[in-house]
Amino acid sequence: MNDSTASGDSSPGNQTTPPKPTAKKKRNLPGMPDPEAEVIALSPKTLLATNRFVCEICNKGFQRDQNLQLHRRGHNLPWKLRQRSSEEVKKRVYVCPEPGCIHHNPSRALGDLTGIKKHFCRKHGEKKWKCDKCSKNYAVQSDWKAHSKICGSREYKCDCGTLFLRRDSFITHRAFCDALAGESAKKNTALAPPSADEDPKIQTNLPPSPPPAMEAPPSPPPLPVAAPPPLQASSPSAPPSTAVLSSVLPLHNLELPESASHNPATTRILEETPMVTDSPVNCSSNSLSSNNGSTSSNVFASLFASSTSSGILQSQATRFPDSFKTMAHTKQASDVALCTSSEPISLCLAMNQGSSIFKTVGQECRQYAPAPQPAMSATALLQKAAQVGVAASNASVLRGLGIVSSLSPSSEPQRWGRQEIESEGASLASGLGLGLGLGLGLACDGGSALTELMLGTPSVFGPKHATLDLLGLGMAASGGPTGGLSAIMKSINDGLDVAAAAAAFGGGEYSGQDMGRSS
Amino acid sequence: MKAELRGNSSSISLQNPSLFNTTQSSISGALKECVGSLDGACIEKLLLHFASALESNDVTLAQQVMWVLNNVASSIGDPNQRLASWFLRALISRAARVSPPTINFDGRSALQRRLMTVTELAGYVDLIPWHRFGFCASNSIIFKAIQGFPRVHILDFSITHCMQWPTLIDALAKRPEGPPSLRISVPSWRPPVHPLLNVSSEEVCQRLTNFAKFKDVPFEINVFEVPPLSTMDAGISQLGSSDLYDLFLNQLNPSTLELRDDEALVINCQNWLRYMPDEQKGSTSHDTSCRDAFLEIIKDLSPCIVTVVDEDCDLGTLSLASRITTCFNYLWIPFDAFETFLPKNSPQRIEYEADIGHKIENIIGFEGIQRIERLESGINLSKRMANKGFQSVPFCEETVKEVKILLDEHASGWGMKKDDDDMLVLTWKGHNSIYATAWVPCSYGVEY
Repeated sequence: MNDSTASGDSSPGNQTTPPKPTAKKKRNLPGMPDPEAEVIALSPKTLLATNRFVCEICNKGFQRDQNLQLHRRGHNLPWKLRQRSSEEVKKRVYVCPEPGCIHHNPSRALGDLTGIKKHFCRKHGEKKWKCDKCSKNYAVQSDWKAHSKICGSREYKCDCGTLFLRRDSFITHRAFCDALAGESAKKNTALAPPSADEDPKIQTNLPPSPPPAMEAPPSPPPLPVAAPPPLQASSPSAPPSTAVLSSVLPLHNLELPESASHNPATTRILEETPMVTDSPVNCSSNSLSSNNGSTSSNVFASLFASSTSSGILQSQATRFPDSFKTMAHTKQASDVALCTSSEPISLCLAMNQGSSIFKTVGQECRQYAPAPQPAMSATALLQKAAQVGVAASNASVLRGLGIVSSLSPSSEPQRWGRQEIESEGASLASGLGLGLGLGLGLACDGGSALTELMLGTPSVFGPKHATLDLLGLGMAASGGPTGGLSAIMKSINDGLDVAAAAAAFGGGEYSGQDMGRSS
Repeated sequence: MKAELRGNSSSISLQNPSLFNTTQSSISGALKECVGSLDGACIEKLLLHFASALESNDVTLAQQVMWVLNNVASSIGDPNQRLASWFLRALISRAARVSPPTINFDGRSALQRRLMTVTELAGYVDLIPWHRFGFCASNSIIFKAIQGFPRVHILDFSITHCMQWPTLIDALAKRPEGPPSLRISVPSWRPPVHPLLNVSSEEVCQRLTNFAKFKDVPFEINVFEVPPLSTMDAGISQLGSSDLYDLFLNQLNPSTLELRDDEALVINCQNWLRYMPDEQKGSTSHDTSCRDAFLEIIKDLSPCIVTVVDEDCDLGTLSLASRITTCFNYLWIPFDAFETFLPKNSPQRIEYEADIGHKIENIIGFEGIQRIERLESGINLSKRMANKGFQSVPFCEETVKEVKILLDEHASGWGMKKDDDDMLVLTWKGHNSIYATAWVPCSYGVEY
């Protein structure tokens, strides 16, 4: 058990760690924080201050401690002042100042200051950086830069119309896609360089990124197309033509013969690429709401806390799945039509989204000048629960039950309610049962998918049965393990229509057997 | 006191303020505060209280915890709330012992809750690097290990229905020396966990075969039957029985697998070992766990490489309280990851979270053989492999580079750690999530 005030974080380090010299680095087991790490909680203002490290001699500020140290050397300090104090060697971890945030908890602290700064901005900050090619916005400049590099740079298109930004997801999809069956017939083995197909073909502003995964270095690509440098603006004449040539390939996903008949195709590609650039963004965000699940992952995987998609989805959840499905099966022209129409919407929604969900940083700075209100501790909550006694909670939980009941025939919950009042032991159990009912009933409102998820197949577990089930616990509690609970269950049991509950569960098949097996 | 039935069901969240209006204001206030600034540490403590309540039969405390949790959890709230709602469900399932869990882990019924199409599954494995990381690392290792062998046979033990292989097939197709002949064998039995497909394994195999043909890779794939399992009726077969595992293990022999001498054998364990029970079956030192037996068997098949990828967390034989905390401190990761790029009410996200909810339910709600999620961390797995006579194969620079490239293409929270060259770990905001390792039997003489 961790006392939240003193614990540190779990495995430190984000990406690659520097090579360990001799001693084997002790790995923190997952979920077990390093108790020696110092937990630092900065206020938002301090966190975002760009020049935290100040030289004591000339008061010049620096973003990084290393820079400050380098600068200090320039002052020709006497030996003593040059030494760093020993306590700076201590491992530091940082928590997010936002109280509800998952990283507010010290056992979820992040190991470096830059990381927590970026997290804070991404999650709780305003997205000031906007991509000019697509509609994505970012709170952190480096995220925006990273995105701009790849935005529109590589697309892979499957015959079914789905677009991918990542090659491995494209390959995996393609292997199982229905469109492949027809493709095998068209395959043309005359295409000499096998690696030319499906290689990302790129517009002129491709950043010098390395070739995609799985193109193992031992097998250098036969065509220069896979190597980014030839595709820079200053490339010689031959590679650009091949680059453009193979740019035809991913978009059409065909093994085209390498003949000269590509000029029209080439022009078409060049015309189309701008659209293709935009479409992955919108199309994929549309696809989030459908279960095709194809491009969404790829486009959004490169984002960190983009709210654009959510904006689109929230307003158009019902429309888009259908339109996406249509889109996936029609020509690109309709893709464009759909996407261009949705683009302005997405931009507008993104802005709304940003302001409503994320407080601006400035706002937070004002609010956080004093320390934020601490969350209720677990102990305090339990004390409340005890004070309440579960009986008094009935008012709220019954209301919650009301939420559940409204979806179901009202007779049984009412009956249950009355009996619950009558039976003395049941008041305790009602808290239990009601709590349970609420836990499951909660899902009833979330739409059919959620209902189904939470409650299992409707035939077994409709909302009505949920409440009964929980109180009908007693029915099967004869084999119950813990004395206390089973006593309570029995008291509920006496007050309920056991038969009805049993019938609700298909003859009680589950109960006895589950009881036996679950121990 | 009357049960007031509400006319409308529009309020989804229990955090609806109107819910608290009729109660004592102090309680509603307290809960509102908690809800307004919900904290992972708070939930974790509540869970621990619950665990200790169960262990000490303190019913009152258990109820209180559930009441509190119920009022703060929400399956469509922020990640903490979502995770809490699934934990609550698992706790209820456990406490009551009778509430039908969303799935039965004895192999029956309600698991067919959600089936994906193959293309949906293809998207699923690429949504976050949770699976793709392992695929990439393993495929890269395999690619390197089979160089020089004209014929390759892969024994694929995984839960992702061959999603790993298209990229390997693609890479093999592009080798300058051309692809080897590739054969893949998958067992007909797999643990009853998500992801689930709406098509048969044969259909998956057919599509993969088409793809390989398309890529000009000589390819064969077959499902090796674990006969008694497949003929067992869902109502009869019981995952809980250790006989089932024995039957499975019995099928892992050269003749059933049709091993051929001229093939390089690759054994791929992808999110698999955690489903092999690790409890000692008997009391004598002779008796080993199913997991150990599995490892011994595969070692005796003389593979040229064994890849093991799994979730980096220890949830095997810990006490309930430890499991609850450890599980909570691990599974927040996918919830947090989904939060960063799927909207709050995305059905896809809710489904994925529900999958994890099942996992939680199994981990917390069951004991013994029905608790099929027996996660073991990379460190402990490595010790186990060493004990069983395997030596680790270090990851070469190329593999590390490929994995890095992969992660660069995903959201910036994902990173990677390399532990002493022989284990790669996927991290989310610095926290370990998945490990990838590679092994050969100690007697195997090849140096890498």
